[in-house]
This record gives sequence, structure tokens and C-alpha cells, in this order.
Amino acid sequence: MGQEVGFYFSMKYKEELIKSMTFLSKKKDTIFLGQSVSYSGNAIFNTLKDVPENKKIELPVFEDVQMGMSTGLAIKGFTPITCYPRFDFLILAMNQMVNHLDKIRHMSNKELKPRVIIRTSIGSKKPLNGGVQHTQDYTEIFKNILTEINVVLLNEPKQILKEYKKAYLRKDSVSTLMIENGDFYNEK
Amino acid sequence: MKSIKLNKIEELKKKEIINFEYEIKKLYEDGKIKSPIHLSGDNEDQLISIFRKINRDDWVISSWRNHYHALLHGISKTKLKKLIMSGKSMGIISKKNNFYSSSIVGGGLSIGLGIALGLKMEGSKSFVYVFIGDMTFETGVFHEAYKYAKNFKLPIKFIVEDNNMSTNSPTDKVWKNKSIIPKDVIYYKYKRKFPHHGTGSWVLF
Repeated sequence: MGQEVGFYFSMKYKEELIKSMTFLSKKKDTIFLGQSVSYSGNAIFNTLKDVPENKKIELPVFEDVQMGMSTGLAIKGFTPITCYPRFDFLILAMNQMVNHLDKIRHMSNKELKPRVIIRTSIGSKKPLNGGVQHTQDYTEIFKNILTEINVVLLNEPKQILKEYKKAYLRKDSVSTLMIENGDFYNEK
Repeated sequence: MKSIKLNKIEELKKKEIINFEYEIKKLYEDGKIKSPIHLSGDNEDQLISIFRKINRDDWVISSWRNHYHALLHGISKTKLKKLIMSGKSMGIISKKNNFYSSSIVGGGLSIGLGIALGLKMEGSKSFVYVFIGDMTFETGVFHEAYKYAKNFKLPIKFIVEDNNMSTNSPTDKVWKNKSIIPKDVIYYKYKRKFPHHGTGSWVLF
């Protein structure tokens, strides 16, 4: 019995992410972009299994350009779900995230209100520990540095669909940084 | 760029944008603008010529030195002056006019790339025109944005405005050599009329 309960929870976190991505993929204006959205290579890829290929754009490794492109797409009326497999890699997009996406409402007197959903993940430490360049949790730092972008730490499976729905549906179209935890894919 | 001959209407436009910058210069020197300004000048002919091809539905992406780009893309003098007076000179943005600018080096390049991708996905015939300086042309972000745009045939054009200065650092000295401009990048050279920012006069605020 205990094993059965454990199995149920072990699938829940990832299942809720799959459910959230499927919900988003059914919206006409969404587009999923980043590294390993169409080709395997990280945990986020596995959560996009039910997203149609024509909703995905596999990008080269150019994190800062990716964030700027996502902002540009959002200015044009799309809702990009822009994926950064690890928090450690998102740091490379800080310029576009902090200096542009996070400041656009202020800079444009609210004429431009791009909605970008940023996905990242704290790298897993089990069963393999990725080391100091692949497993950092910078949640508090991002909460401190961002003024307009909403920061959400996804600790529990029950939060996931609710938070992704909120990020997509919120009327103020504020962008959201969703922080997942790689270890919870196997633990919760 | 080839020699440029302006018609009568364009000559009037040239006078209009020069006068606008002198009006801003005076307001700044009178202490009425409480933020940095980066005045344009001595590149009117080149810009008027480039803007012949730019339609109002197209997007224009600029930088901190954006007043001429904004006026030539249809932002009214009244609106632009209001934005400058409110401290927004370094980042003029107008949704109505499809105009974005950033005061971070290369900041507009990838945003322009995203807008261009969006236009292509919509099946639009509009273009994005990104104005950058010669130092921005040398950066990695330009290399990435240009390569992606070219390979995926995105509706975007890059324009390099070469005054050989990044703030007050000469590009050819700090890089030792300047890179070759690709043929599909619009390029012109000019000498800066005003300092990097301000007017060259000491202002007591």
C-alpha cells in the first residue's frame, strides 16, 4: 500500500506539468520555445510530449537572444512559453529579462504589456548531482531583482496547473517566472 | 551610401527634424529636461533616404539616440517632446507607431528579431528595421541576431550608423580593427554633431 501511494506521488509533479503544458498548447496564441523543446535532452522536454510540434520552436543556444525574441513575440501578441532547462542557464538571459522584459511597462507608460511565461528548473541532485554549475536555486535573488515579473516557486504538485492558468489568464498580462525543481519530478 | 538628393518635401522634413533637435537642445540647456538626452545631427540626408523604404506599418527599433528615427517613423513632435520632457529620451516607445528603443547596447536586436518572427508567423508583409551603431555591430548579440534572421529569412533589416564612437571610445581603436559589413546590412558613416549626451554646454539644473 505504501509503495502504491509513493508511486502515485512520484508521478504527480511531472503529470501536473504535462497537464499544464497541454492546457497552454490548446491556446491559439501560445508558442513554446527554447533548447530541447523538440529534441530530448532535459526534464522539461518530457513535459512537452503532448504539445504539437507546430507549437514548438527549437532554438540555438543563445539564452539572452531567446529572452529578447520571447519579448518581441509577446509584443506582437503571442504568449511565448520560453524554456530554460536549468536556473544556472537562465542567468545568461538576465540582460533581456531584467533590463527589458521587466522594465517595458514602465518604459512604455504601459503602452506595451508583453506576457511571457518563463520556465526554468532547479537542477536535480538525485540520483546524479549535477554540481555547482547545474543545480543552483536563485529564487530569492530573482525575486529581489525583478520589479514587474512575477516569480513563482512550484514546490507542490497542486500548485502547478493553477499557477500556469493564472500566468496565462491574468488580465494585467504580467509576465511570470515559473521555477520548477528537477528532483520533484521523481519525488512528488 | 551613394550621394543622396532630397526632394522639396524631404528638404522641409530635414529642416523640421533639425529644428526639433535645436528646440530640445535649448530646453535642456535651460534646465527643463531632467534626464540625459542624446541628440542626433548631421545624418539627416542618410536617414531620410533610408526611411523612404520604411512603411508606417513596419517596426522601427532604435537606441538611446532615437529622436530622428522617431520623427521619421511618424511619432508626432508633440508626443516626442512630451516623452523627452518626462525623462524618456533614452527609451522612446510608441505602440501606435510600432516604435521601440532601448538604452542598453544591442538591447533592441533580439526584441526586433522576435517581432520579425511574429510578423512571419502571422503572414504579415511588414518588416522590422533595427538601427544600431558601429560598436553594437561588433557585439556578439548582433552576430547571433543577424545569423538567425538570415538563416530563417525573417523580415528584418539591420542598419549600421557608423560614427566610430561608443560614448567617447573610438571603435577602431578599442577593437584594433572593425569587421566587414555584410552586403545585406544597410550602412552609412557620419561624424557626430553633438557629444554622446548633453549639448556640450555646462548646464546648471
